[in-house]
Amino acid sequence: MASRLRPWLEERLPLADLVETLRHKTVPHHRYSIWYYFGGMTLFLFAIQVGTGALLLLYYRPSAAEAYESVQFIVTRVPFGWLVRSIHAWSANLMVASAFAHLFSVLFLHAYRRPRELTWVSGVLLLMLTLAFGFTGYLLPWNEVSFFATRVGTDIAATLPVIGRGLVRFLRGGNDVSGATLTRLFGFHVAILPAIATVLVGLHLLLIQRHGISVPPSVERDRGTDPGVVRAIPFLPHFILRDLFAWTAVLAVLAALSTFYPWELGTKADPFAAAPAGIRPEWYFLWAFEALKHMPSTLAGVDGEFVAVAAMSIVGVGAILLPFMARNTRPGRRLVVWIGIVMLVFMSAMTVLALAGSTP
Amino acid sequence: MTGSVRIAVATIAFSLFPSKVLPQSAVEMAKSAFGDDVHAAAGLTCTACHASSGGAGTLPTPPRTAIAPLCATCHSDAAYMQRFDPQVRVDQFLQYQTSVHGKRMAAGEERVATCTDCHGAHGIRRVNDARSPVAPLNVTTTCGRCHGDSARMKLFGREATPPGDWSASVHAAALIKRGDASAPTCIACHGSHGATPPGVTSVVNVCAQCHVREAELFRVSPKKEIFDALGEPECLTCHRNHRIEAPQDTWVGLQEGSVCADCHDESGDSGMTIRRVREELDGLSAALSNAEELLTRAERAGMLVDDGRAAFQEAREHRVQSRVLVHAFALAPFSKVTSEGVASARRAQQAGEAAMRELQTRQRGLAVATLLILAFLGTLWLKIRRLPPPSS
Repeated sequence: MASRLRPWLEERLPLADLVETLRHKTVPHHRYSIWYYFGGMTLFLFAIQVGTGALLLLYYRPSAAEAYESVQFIVTRVPFGWLVRSIHAWSANLMVASAFAHLFSVLFLHAYRRPRELTWVSGVLLLMLTLAFGFTGYLLPWNEVSFFATRVGTDIAATLPVIGRGLVRFLRGGNDVSGATLTRLFGFHVAILPAIATVLVGLHLLLIQRHGISVPPSVERDRGTDPGVVRAIPFLPHFILRDLFAWTAVLAVLAALSTFYPWELGTKADPFAAAPAGIRPEWYFLWAFEALKHMPSTLAGVDGEFVAVAAMSIVGVGAILLPFMARNTRPGRRLVVWIGIVMLVFMSAMTVLALAGSTP
Repeated sequence: MTGSVRIAVATIAFSLFPSKVLPQSAVEMAKSAFGDDVHAAAGLTCTACHASSGGAGTLPTPPRTAIAPLCATCHSDAAYMQRFDPQVRVDQFLQYQTSVHGKRMAAGEERVATCTDCHGAHGIRRVNDARSPVAPLNVTTTCGRCHGDSARMKLFGREATPPGDWSASVHAAALIKRGDASAPTCIACHGSHGATPPGVTSVVNVCAQCHVREAELFRVSPKKEIFDALGEPECLTCHRNHRIEAPQDTWVGLQEGSVCADCHDESGDSGMTIRRVREELDGLSAALSNAEELLTRAERAGMLVDDGRAAFQEAREHRVQSRVLVHAFALAPFSKVTSEGVASARRAQQAGEAAMRELQTRQRGLAVATLLILAFLGTLWLKIRRLPPPSS
């Protein structure tokens, strides 16, 4: 059967060409190559998100009246529903962490340089998309914490001049967070964002395939004196087996987290109740949340929150345009490293402050 | 000087100078306090109360026996009072005349309370104004100024009520700690304008204002007749009066310290009934406690036990009902509710046990999955190690 199927498939699909291409494809192997696996890890976690998300969709109901109860039904009545929901929530968090690690590793290894500018741009957009997935998915269980955190989160958009109010109404589907917001964010989470993500992931992978994996300038420089510092390993099977090893390890971590720390459901949101103490967003938004808290109400006569939002927007745009602004010279690359370190320290410090401040 | 201090000074001034013309400083203080008075807000002036006598420029204070009738000239006039508040009550003076205060005042005893002693004289506020001396949070202090003063009460042949009695009660906790403004203070049981100690046989009617079901059960129970015949003050026989504490299951029983043991011993049917009631109360509490412990353990382990929580809540409601049914002083209706409560608690317990079993299954499943994953990782590692070395 298999002996007949293979020629049948090869006649119709370019399988042999594909295998041949992969067999000849190589990946640089050097002292920093461990960082290459974060990209694949993020993709693996994204695939888990798609799979578990599709399973959750079978039972989830996106309305204020039924959302909480449907998630409760999933975790209490549906066989393995608790596991699917927990894996979805945990892998979302690991995916954000992995995407951040991937972005900063690419930044510090200067892999954004010509001709990989568009690979970087698509990567930064994918990271932003990942955060948008996190934000839109947070409200879907319709519990107390997510309800009020979404209210606080969408309020921030109101500080933008001219478009602020309209943007808030667009995100909420009204003046306040309500069932309309839930339906709207659900639409973004399961249809619009996945469609954009599919295109961007495809583009990102295509560009990696086109340009290959970058070798850091420091390693390139060392190659001049010792050619052995950069070796090449075949993508198939050397790299793919290592990738598989990392994915399997992540799967083990996910299973353990989901079993021993199942994601909490909390209490159902009550739009008429007062906001409980200690409301805060997911950990990956904490740094921005804390930074906004520390801003004075006005800065040189300008609204402090607006200044902070504007600064973050500038950093976001700067991150996208980095390859077009950074010089590929030693001082230029050093400046990029320092900017990266400052950003990393700032985000970590703000996150720690927020966590310390919210401890009862 | 704050408004309340001004009122206090003005009140003391009236007490020190009854039926006399006030010295100038007291007049100034009264004027100042009156600026924040509900009567001033309604457009009344000093002469509304002080117009009867005295020379030019003087403000005679009405004698204490005349204060209540003076207030009543307006406050008992429904047509007049409706101009300020269409739903205002106008029976205060009638009630006052039926009170111990009113009767003694009518007999010429000026040392008992009249309107201004509780409401203040200049600077009177509405009862629902938190600054009023008769607002729910302040009224016990206001009554306690006289009724907590042993020397003063001795003059009338009465015992003082220790100020801490009500403060230590479950009612005070409801008002002060939980902020429940409907919680009873002195006036809820004794009346306000018609303040009178409730008679022994009408205590249950007073308590029934809030504890409706308990009172219903008590009225048709054999205890009502016995207590009335013995002159026992109904509810207060077991619950005491001002220092009413949260009832405990340990009150039921024949052991030392229990309330029942004050009158009953082991002998007869009553002894057996009391023992059974206590056993069933303890049984239900133990079942609830076990279920709670297990459900909490399951929840801490990340399990959802909503069915168990619902059954637990049901069992708790049965316990509340059974504690109420103690007031029927009969075993049959009580046992029915406690056995239903125990059944609910058992369902909660079973839900907790099922959750813990499910947790164990999950953990065993994870252990197997982890072993398989580790075996796969090991195989992968061996495979990677055996691959030909990468080329330069």
